[in-house]
Amino acid sequence: MRDMSLVALSNLAFVPEGERSAVTNGESPASLTESADDERGPVFSAFGIASTALALLSVAAVVLAAIIWSNHRESTDRLRYQSRVAQAAADWTGVLINMNKDNIDSSLEKLHDGTVGELNNDFEAAMQPYRSVVQTLQSKTTGQINSVSIEAVHHDPDARTGNAPSPPVPDFASRTDTVLIVATSVSQNVDAKPQTVHWNLRVGVSDVDGKLMISRLEPIR
Amino acid sequence: MRNAWRIFAFDVAAPLAAIAALVLIGVALDWRVWWVAVCSVLCLLIVEGMVVDFVLARRDQVTVGTDDDGPGLRLAVVGLATAALVAAVLVCYAEWTVPDRERDSNMAEVVRLASNVSEATATFSPHDPTSSINRAAALMGPEQAEAYRNAFAKTAEQLAAKNVSAQANTVSAGVEAISPEAASVAVVMRAVQTTPNAPPDRAILALRVTLSKQDGRWKVFDVTPINPLTADQGHS
Repeated sequence: MRDMSLVALSNLAFVPEGERSAVTNGESPASLTESADDERGPVFSAFGIASTALALLSVAAVVLAAIIWSNHRESTDRLRYQSRVAQAAADWTGVLINMNKDNIDSSLEKLHDGTVGELNNDFEAAMQPYRSVVQTLQSKTTGQINSVSIEAVHHDPDARTGNAPSPPVPDFASRTDTVLIVATSVSQNVDAKPQTVHWNLRVGVSDVDGKLMISRLEPIR
Repeated sequence: MRNAWRIFAFDVAAPLAAIAALVLIGVALDWRVWWVAVCSVLCLLIVEGMVVDFVLARRDQVTVGTDDDGPGLRLAVVGLATAALVAAVLVCYAEWTVPDRERDSNMAEVVRLASNVSEATATFSPHDPTSSINRAAALMGPEQAEAYRNAFAKTAEQLAAKNVSAQANTVSAGVEAISPEAASVAVVMRAVQTTPNAPPDRAILALRVTLSKQDGRWKVFDVTPINPLTADQGHS
């Protein structure tokens, strides 16, 4: 009996502390393995599952934030672009309504340089009415822009009556916006009363390779 | 390899995501002063936590991410990062998406109202002299509507007596300026006035319509000519 207990003790010397107590309590090797699995627990703990769920929620939040930021940036870029478009149209129209007999050639050259597409090709024909008004009046003209806005609504009664529609915008322009400009110019003659001219213009502004050019000039009559 | 992922996820990515979320909230709030203070404190706390984590990692060879005895702390770290990111999404939505959508819908609404009120103010039928006045007044605030009715009641009687009719149609309209509470719209109309035994009188009218938001609804505040008519004038 004493020899047997010695053998048993020598075997226990190679068994871990936790299992040693189990063996001494008379448990079999199979039950020892099950007991170790129980202590290790399932592969994914409740904390791990919760962390994974939160991580997925975080990824979704990052994606949503990126979409929101992208949309907002697109919106602000559009507003900034429209502001530039309005400024470009106002600058160009400012030259048009301030044409005098003294600066008509330089003004027309400047206006021509700012145009593109069909308006550029037919510039002389498009400007003929304005040129003739300035040459006829032989006066000093001072123009003032009263209102500039990006056109949001346009009804074309001419289209219903069969008249010529608005001139087309150039195909190579990446984008074309229409600016509604209301302006007033006062022409002063030496021997006559000042004459006021009201301008109600639809000005097409096209983006050509990042440069804003006037592609359409349509007086509202 | 497993520890490397845990270090990346819990010790690096989570705190950096939280800091990024706090900064994004700051951008969305346009760095309001109170948020600058709050964000500074929170970011400092997060950086302090990261520093402590890595100092302890050098000493004990275990971090928040690799500590098997601290799953609760890991969950808390992920939870805080997620809370910051979700808060960032909500703030961005409230500060960016909602105002952008409101501005777009407001622009469409003010242009529609301005066009309608402009046409109504320049339209007149001798058979029903008050209809267009009432139509325009319905789009105005109470005070403006009353003033408008009083101002044009006598004119309407005179026009009706002369059997004058007028019809106006919007040709073009655009928003000059807009804020969440006020807007200014330019409207250009083609108007035709008909008097018995006379040819129709055609004119282009350019009006500026100012609007304000009252109780969540846009109301016309004023309608004025953009370029007042003068005795000597022409049109181009």
